Amino acid sequence: MAQAQVPEYVRVVEELFSKYKEFIYVGKYIQRWDAVSKITGKALFTADFLKFYKDPVYVYTVRPKYAHAYIKSIDTTEAERYPGVIKVLTAKDIPGVNDVGYVIPDQPLLADKKVRYIADPIALIVAEDKYVAAEAAELVHVEYEPLPVITDPLEVVDLKTLKEKEHVRIHEERESDIISHFKIRKGDVEKAIKEADVVVENEYRTGMQEHAYLEPEAAIAIPEADGGVTIIASTQCPFDVRKAVARVLGVTQNKVRVIVPAIGGGFGGKEDVVNEIGAKAALAAYYTGRPAVVIHTREESMIGHSKRHPMVAWYRHAAKKDGTLLAVEANIVLDTGAYASLGPFVAWRAIVHSTGPYKVPNARVDTLAVYTNNVYAGAFRGFGNPQVTFAFELQMDALAEELGMDPVDLRLKNILREGDRTVHGQLLTKEHGVGLEETLKRAIEVIDWYRKRKEYSEFAEGTLRKGIGLALLWHGNSIGVEGADYSSATIIINRDGTVTFRTGLTDFGQGAVWGLVLIAAEILGVPPQLFRIEPPDTSSTPDAGPTVASRSTVMGGAATMNAAYKLRKRINELAANMLGCSPDEIVIRAPEKEDVKPSDVEVFCKSDPSKKVKWTDVVEQSFWDGVPLQEFGFFRAPKAEWDEETGQGAPYVTYTFGTMVAEVTVDIETGAVKVDRMVTAYDIGKVINRVGAELHAEGGAIQGLGYALMEEIVHDKNGVVRTYNLSNYYTPLIDDIPDEIIPIWVESGFKRGPFGAKGLGEPSIVAIAPAIVNAINHATKHRFTQIPLTPERIYLGLKRAGKIKL
Amino acid sequence: MAFDPSKSWDTYPDIEITLNVNGKNYKVKVKPYERLIDVLRYKLGFTGVKEGCGRGECGACVVLMDGELVPSCLVLAVRANGKKIITVEGLAPEGKLHAVQKAFLDTFAVQCGFCFPGFAIAIKHLLDKNPNPSEEEIKEALSGNLCRCGSYYRLIKAAKLASEYVRQGKIYFDVKR
Amino acid sequence: MSTIFIHRFDVVQPSSLEEALKILAEEGESVTPMAGGTDVMILIRDGVIKVKKILDLWPLRSQLSYIKREDGYVKIGALTTVTELEKSWLVNDKRYAGFRDVIIGFATPYLRSLATVGGNIGTGHPLSDIGVLLLTLDAEVVLLSADGERIVPLKEFYLGKRKINRKPNELITEVRFKEAPGNSSTAFIKFDRRRGHSMGYVLVAAYLALKGNVIEDVKIAFDSIGRPYPERAVKTESFLKGKEFSLENIRKAYNEVLPTEMSRISDYRASAEYRLDLSKVLMKRALLRAKERIESR
Repeated sequence: MAQAQVPEYVRVVEELFSKYKEFIYVGKYIQRWDAVSKITGKALFTADFLKFYKDPVYVYTVRPKYAHAYIKSIDTTEAERYPGVIKVLTAKDIPGVNDVGYVIPDQPLLADKKVRYIADPIALIVAEDKYVAAEAAELVHVEYEPLPVITDPLEVVDLKTLKEKEHVRIHEERESDIISHFKIRKGDVEKAIKEADVVVENEYRTGMQEHAYLEPEAAIAIPEADGGVTIIASTQCPFDVRKAVARVLGVTQNKVRVIVPAIGGGFGGKEDVVNEIGAKAALAAYYTGRPAVVIHTREESMIGHSKRHPMVAWYRHAAKKDGTLLAVEANIVLDTGAYASLGPFVAWRAIVHSTGPYKVPNARVDTLAVYTNNVYAGAFRGFGNPQVTFAFELQMDALAEELGMDPVDLRLKNILREGDRTVHGQLLTKEHGVGLEETLKRAIEVIDWYRKRKEYSEFAEGTLRKGIGLALLWHGNSIGVEGADYSSATIIINRDGTVTFRTGLTDFGQGAVWGLVLIAAEILGVPPQLFRIEPPDTSSTPDAGPTVASRSTVMGGAATMNAAYKLRKRINELAANMLGCSPDEIVIRAPEKEDVKPSDVEVFCKSDPSKKVKWTDVVEQSFWDGVPLQEFGFFRAPKAEWDEETGQGAPYVTYTFGTMVAEVTVDIETGAVKVDRMVTAYDIGKVINRVGAELHAEGGAIQGLGYALMEEIVHDKNGVVRTYNLSNYYTPLIDDIPDEIIPIWVESGFKRGPFGAKGLGEPSIVAIAPAIVNAINHATKHRFTQIPLTPERIYLGLKRAGKIKL
Repeated sequence: MAFDPSKSWDTYPDIEITLNVNGKNYKVKVKPYERLIDVLRYKLGFTGVKEGCGRGECGACVVLMDGELVPSCLVLAVRANGKKIITVEGLAPEGKLHAVQKAFLDTFAVQCGFCFPGFAIAIKHLLDKNPNPSEEEIKEALSGNLCRCGSYYRLIKAAKLASEYVRQGKIYFDVKR
Repeated sequence: MSTIFIHRFDVVQPSSLEEALKILAEEGESVTPMAGGTDVMILIRDGVIKVKKILDLWPLRSQLSYIKREDGYVKIGALTTVTELEKSWLVNDKRYAGFRDVIIGFATPYLRSLATVGGNIGTGHPLSDIGVLLLTLDAEVVLLSADGERIVPLKEFYLGKRKINRKPNELITEVRFKEAPGNSSTAFIKFDRRRGHSMGYVLVAAYLALKGNVIEDVKIAFDSIGRPYPERAVKTESFLKGKEFSLENIRKAYNEVLPTEMSRISDYRASAEYRLDLSKVLMKRALLRAKERIESR
């Protein structure tokens, strides 16, 4: 990109990156704003607002008996006559468009012609009481014509040929049940394979993971006088909900207001489904004129919201004797379930990362997302990357084994460094911040890799075996070519010197918005304790884009910088006038204490600190002098490039890098695995919110451990979800965590990120599973290729290989 | 249920029960099928009690009932009649933090916060029985509480720290902010 | 499972055991007795049962919550909670150390304060930790009705999937077992994908009495041998009885005898093959643990 084309908001970020070397708030341990309200039980989550609304109506969703069937008729008369039922809503009652599809319009809010998965909403019971609503649901009589149910994506498409098979179509209204097909074509793969010394090929499978955020989906809709509606909802993306609800109601977007209170976890799961939840509540409010409540039960949540895409992939890697990678070939099929949701974007992110953070001179990769009758898959922390990372990082270990090389040495031979080109031809420069090698070197040093790798190879104590494994990752920051990649933030300095911070980005536990406040505090000199973060509200916070794709800190942070930068400039000029020194000399500083007040903050001249005024005086003066202390910041990422036919271009603005190491103990007689220790080394450019970063390293690793060993949504052959609760869907509990997780931070500095920062939300899960499975494979001297790698899969795998005898 | 249009939907009797919640007595009318969690949350306003699963599988709704740790989603409200209930709101007097809550702050444990009321009550219950628990005992006591954000390490540390505070006689702390 | 089935119901809270029995005698199957509620409340949610009226047994806890020694028996009141078991002398008696294993792995700490001994066997479910252990102690179930008392050996108490030998007018009031000899101990193992809060792929309990190194008596129970409820592996037991306690004999027992009497099912949680092999491994470990306990002084 030529320098002349760089917009002002990018230039500001670059300027501040080169200017700031020392920090007061950024990268420090600072208590998040809502900690006290959460631990005292006062923080209000969506369902908690119900205590403020008298006389709400309760909405209960009627769901089908079959996972795939035509609807012949829906008879609601009996349900409508049931005492306490106010109305039964079906597709014909939708005033606007009957669709809540996230990326493509393939998902009716209320099914009227066909159901495509076991929780497809058919009708809504609106009743005086939640028990009445559930009782009446059984009185809605639906006549079905059942269709064959497809739960295996390989019934839709052939893994080898990638051709669509003969099958009963799930979406007849579309050309095909393959929703997307992405490609990478680079160099001459066939020639490379012929010339290679070693070729390894394997098939990999990853499971359907459930977010299991602790707060199930919820929305409360309040009807407004102008025909619009206000919705309190547990959503990551209030502006997407607004758009979807406006379409369903057939009203303009400015008549729908979405407010986001505290959210009990999201992990990507509170994107698509909230379109449905919000619309259900809004419809009921629209028809009854009363506040309407939708609170999903845990069971509904498990069967009725998006999941992580299961993957089946075939990979072939070719290398020279010395370990140099020559080619990667892969066919990757993602099961998007009954609806596309974010499937096309997930498939795209998957292919971008599919060859790993390595120099790959020749590549041929095809990635398909296909419909099945499973619960639909959408966004989940990592977004397609954990799946492919599992495959290519196991391939790397398989290759190392074939070559007789240590897995670390093989990777050192091939990793991306500054000055290298990615498989897409994107040149990685100092501006991107390429700290992969440092994460690898520091991680293996901390864990004492080479000694343990050797020692554990020989470890056998009764039925126990030990292993150590690693996995590398890269993760493109923000959304790349998936959509308009912008964000925004508003900073308002109030007359008492406190600060109001607004952004449409949401906090669902990760605390990223707190990172934005730390950035603003750093620039303004006003301590973060004096900030109040207002809840995202589409009527007061401008659209900041969705809170997804590890983009809050990078995109929202850059927008925040712009707002703070402009404010600081004006404050400096004002203070300079008041103090009689140059604006460049103005220092704003607060004493270090927990209960700091606005009047404690001092504004002084660097050359003569005796020239000082109180922050509150400067603020007051600004109102008299007509200097506005409200500012809006905007940022739009430099445009990403992607060639549809070859996968060449520059798909992301930059990449987060990392090295994960896991040590495990396996009981080969039962298949039980204990993860003893993990090292998580990330290059996130610059640590902004240190507490948040550490919590992500821990939390991502634990969720990744679940993905690797325990968690799987299981459908039976009829498409019925068997794992519909938290007893038979196994999330890690306190007894399952490793004895320790050692975090390492590499700060390579991304020139266009706030103070050099890159994203961490998603990367924190991406390479956990392959590190753990590589360790298990080391421990058991076996090559497992499927997750979740349950005790049964381990035990039976070893038994089949003749490695176990009872 | 047979349909009778002449009947109102509200056909089940109101039962008056007495609850002592966080030291205060309440008389409240409940339905026979109503759960303690609904009464606490929506009739009495103690929304610190969170519903994560409604099946006794996540620990977000646990409260102390006459000193016992119970999931309020599986306890019928009528069963709590005459009982003393402690919820997260009752751990400390207004404006103060209980040692457990202070320890959550000290260990920077908070993420989404939905599980914390349950963890706070579970740790308080542990410390009431055993003021000096080992790490194993802490893990055992918290083995049924799900924290999906993964704050487990901090929660273990917080429980240890809280036990130290309690043993030093420091039960309540001022809130700084 | 495609939705949930919460519905309204009535509740009756008896003030005494006699009143409860009277209600049962008069209303029979139209009332559903509920002890801790950790099972019944879930069965309602899952749509497995629809209830019109719950007979809340909780008020009877003052009468039916106890653990006592009497007439050479250990007697446990049906409404004794798992938490109460945990606090009792029972877990410190090495003969009954199996209860310690049961309690530590029993659901979650907060469910242990509701779940009762009577409720656990009354569910008639294979994954009944307490029932599996009690089978190895030759426990009996005491049932009471307005017509009087009826005593059923636990091994005859299970009739089918969620079917138990209880008449609609009866209540489980007690489980009891004869005091075990001093040269004996018990162990219980449950194995699943995670350590905390699990149902178990396989549950096994072992009772062992040793004379020197000879197996004087042994009882081994599983969550299932073939039928959908807990049962003992009697052929395996008789193979081992009188033999020397050795890994070789145990291996023989689980490789040659156990498979002749055990037939496992495959479902979404585990395959029959894995369940069978796991049964072998856990049986071995339970016996070893019981032996270790006998020998610990």
